[in-house]
Amino acid sequence: MRALGKAASDDDRPLIERVRKGDQDAARTLYERYFDRIYNYVYARLGRAEDAEDLAIDTMTRSLTRIDLFQDQGVAFSSWVYRIAHNATIDHYRRNGRVTLVPLENAVLPQTADPAELAVEQLSNEDLRVALRDLTEEQQQVLILRFFQDLTAAQVADIMGKSVGAVQALQHRALGSLERALQGRTNN
Amino acid sequence: MPEARRLEALAERLRAVDPIAPSPGAKIRGWNLVLAGVTQSATRRPRVSVTRLVLAAAAAGVLLVAGALAASADSLPDSALYPLKGAWEQVRGTFAFSPSDKLAFHLELSQTRLAEAEAMIARHRIDLAGRALDALDNELDDAAQLVQTAKQNDPAAAAEMQSRLEQAIATHELQLAGLQGQVTNQTALTAISRARDRAIAALQAAEKTGPNDKNGNPSPSPNGGRGQGGPSTSPHPTPKH
Repeated sequence: MRALGKAASDDDRPLIERVRKGDQDAARTLYERYFDRIYNYVYARLGRAEDAEDLAIDTMTRSLTRIDLFQDQGVAFSSWVYRIAHNATIDHYRRNGRVTLVPLENAVLPQTADPAELAVEQLSNEDLRVALRDLTEEQQQVLILRFFQDLTAAQVADIMGKSVGAVQALQHRALGSLERALQGRTNN
Repeated sequence: MPEARRLEALAERLRAVDPIAPSPGAKIRGWNLVLAGVTQSATRRPRVSVTRLVLAAAAAGVLLVAGALAASADSLPDSALYPLKGAWEQVRGTFAFSPSDKLAFHLELSQTRLAEAEAMIARHRIDLAGRALDALDNELDDAAQLVQTAKQNDPAAAAEMQSRLEQAIATHELQLAGLQGQVTNQTALTAISRARDRAIAALQAAEKTGPNDKNGNPSPSPNGGRGQGGPSTSPHPTPKH
């Protein structure tokens, strides 16, 4: 699972061609390759297993049944699938009336918290997941893709349609925001 | 602890978060949906090959051009489609191979130019009418040169061609004379008079023996070649209105 980012688009290309011709075995291989990581991506965004399953299934169904729409012009198939998952997540938020979050750098956070007091090794996975969902859409996306999905900055840039430099800057701000969110939760 | 080290430690901690596995039931349910979708889309949407797309695009292009050409066929000099009409006429000209066909082509174009000139005068576009009349005379010049050339190569055919040219010019002459009697614009009258002069000059040139004079030099084109029409000794003086 930790090798999520290692699948190269070169590996996908012959499979994509076969799926376009209706090859079910190739579709199965791509499904197995991407379903779990898409599920994890969506779960990290939503925090609900049922919703994450539905959106992961929806993403994979759209990706593999509309594969004719994928054009291999500089964008990897994996990036395309992640974009579909991202859009499905946004649609889910809209359908369920999720309130747009205030970016944490603008939010009022406890000023007394000492960053040095945060012992990250003592944080539970659930603490991290919950605090992550307090971040802005883009901050969540960059941290999930970079650290949960183990993608490179270049791959994340491809998915998010940003430059590598912009992704690195966003990642830095997102980590800072996450740290403050965790401190706020610890102090409360 | 410095910020950079704190954030790096936090990043490492994020990397260590275990992934969550989906339920096996969800995975099976998803695969069944994908399988149904892939099978359906493979039967519903046969893959369109690049060759077919190119052929379809080419066919659409041909239809588009054919439509534009058809629409331009009756266009007048003040129309946006008129250049297309001229281009198509040039293409058609390349498919007239025999001298007789070429003559028919030039006479047809001369009639077209005359009709255009009449229409432009009716719309008070005297500048465009003048150009149409110049083009009319250029067609007659070309026709006269064809007759001259034919006289050397095929005298029998040349006689027939000259007869057709004479008939055409006689018809033009009648139309131009009628037109000249209808207009009052001085510029238009001058242009019509010049066109009549050049038509007569073309006829006279066609009546000569051939393209080369007795010294082997090419005979001058009718009325001194394409250009600005007749001399001051016009047999069709511009009427004074």
